[in-house]
Amino acid sequence: MAGTFVVYSDKTAIAIELIGFCRGSGKRAVALAFDAAAAQEYAARGAERVLLIECGQNLPEAYAKAVAGVLEREGAEGFIVGSTVRGREMAARVAGYLKWPLVSDVSKLVCEEKELVTERPAYGGAVVQQERVKLPAVVTVPAGKFEPAATSGAGAEVVTLEAQPDERTVLLERASVEKQGADLGSAEKIVCAGMGFAKKEDLKLAFDLAAVIGAEVGCSRSVAEERNWLPTDVYIGISGATVKPRLYLSIGVSGQVQHVVGIRDSRVIAAIDLNENAPIFKAADYGIVGDLYEVVPALIEALKNC
Amino acid sequence: MANVIVCYKWVIDEKDIRMNPDRSVDTSRAQRKISEYDKNAIEAGIRAAAKLGASPVGLTFGGTEAKQSLKDALSRGLEAVYWIGHPAAGTADGLLTARVLAAAAEKIGDYSLIVCGEGASDTYARQVGPRLGALLDLPVVTAVCDMEIDGEQLIATRKLEDCIEKVKVSLPAVISVLPEINEAPVPTLKAVLAAGKKPSQEFTLQSLGLKEEELQPGTSVTGVLAYVMDRKNVILKDGDVATRVKEFVTYLKKEGVI
Repeated sequence: MAGTFVVYSDKTAIAIELIGFCRGSGKRAVALAFDAAAAQEYAARGAERVLLIECGQNLPEAYAKAVAGVLEREGAEGFIVGSTVRGREMAARVAGYLKWPLVSDVSKLVCEEKELVTERPAYGGAVVQQERVKLPAVVTVPAGKFEPAATSGAGAEVVTLEAQPDERTVLLERASVEKQGADLGSAEKIVCAGMGFAKKEDLKLAFDLAAVIGAEVGCSRSVAEERNWLPTDVYIGISGATVKPRLYLSIGVSGQVQHVVGIRDSRVIAAIDLNENAPIFKAADYGIVGDLYEVVPALIEALKNC
Repeated sequence: MANVIVCYKWVIDEKDIRMNPDRSVDTSRAQRKISEYDKNAIEAGIRAAAKLGASPVGLTFGGTEAKQSLKDALSRGLEAVYWIGHPAAGTADGLLTARVLAAAAEKIGDYSLIVCGEGASDTYARQVGPRLGALLDLPVVTAVCDMEIDGEQLIATRKLEDCIEKVKVSLPAVISVLPEINEAPVPTLKAVLAAGKKPSQEFTLQSLGLKEEELQPGTSVTGVLAYVMDRKNVILKDGDVATRVKEFVTYLKKEGVI
């Protein structure tokens, strides 16, 4: 399957996964970078050609019109973009200029002869929508969907392009947001605290359990947003963090669909909750129905001794 | 007077969706509503219009049922609503929706700002706003969580994964706003009554200069299935706590995760 896909993400790690997808689909991967360090990385990680637009203080998405022109000149039949705020805006604006279809946030992506076969969530994740889209097309892909491309021996050529940004938008200020809680995205094990806890101090049980098994602690949306017991960057769910640890173990989480969407790629899902009809048990591999104030201390003891 | 155009979508209320055992999805009995995030977009548009001395107007593209949305939209403080009701909306993707909305925005004319919600509550594809910007060749700012108007310019605060950005954009522009930008008030009874007297106008495709053959979506949906978790569902509920815990630990050990 000959043909060229152009890859872009403002997160280097995602772009390398997308290069992996292109190569796995037999496509020539042309990587688009907005800084020299990322360009070098792509050149060494499987891209067959790297295009560098040095944007300096500008916003990468201000180059959307120029990028649309680049795609045309490269004869690209696909624009494969990482699903981040910046990536989604770039993808949609480029799709708008080229009048190409765009499938956002795909959970599955397969490249066939002349089309892409995709799956994506709808209705907050309660529904899976399967689509077919003829090339040329744009897709946005979240992190972790494809294996990163392997380091290639011969570095690809890096071509620096002159491009005109849209000067009607100007970046005034950029402030990084310090992460207050654990980095759940890369955690191997997660203990998740829910509204089953009666008071903030009791969350100690979750942290104690996490310490015994070497897990990070996350929570449901209400624990962070309504009760303000934990920082908002550790709540798991459709509007919060999406996680895929080897073990997800929830305590007192009812498991509304919006939460379950954020955990469903976990390898093993285990849950402790008082209510045997809680939806979390339908989403779980293993569960204990019981009072968390009895079960968790017993579990901590049992795990200490094993 | 210039317009601030707010785009909104008349969506199926997700709480009325029924999932059948064969994973098929039944929306036949579902009510519709203005997409939740678009309620915040409407409120943002109204506030911006007040500062710009402009008139806040609504715009929606939907099936013929979209007509039912007009009163709700107007009761939220919009001064007029323009709508396109066409069966093609049922299978429309971002490509088609943006094409229709762009044509309608040009027809409305004299706009200083177009406000969209970040995404619709059904598809949440988050593409119509920036696409619309491209079709109209306007500057775009997405993920806006706060904004102020400074003369002919808008200063937007954007929320990204790991940073907050402040961006200045000259008007006219297209912005898409996050729900946290404001709290959309529930319309008062007075506003609901007043809505009945406000103007709404239907645009036909013909009046927008669009032909039937331009109403093809770029993607075709081949399946809509209820999401199912394929899990072991071993739930321990009998016996004393110690027994349940012991069994639970045995399972997790067997899985090699502890």
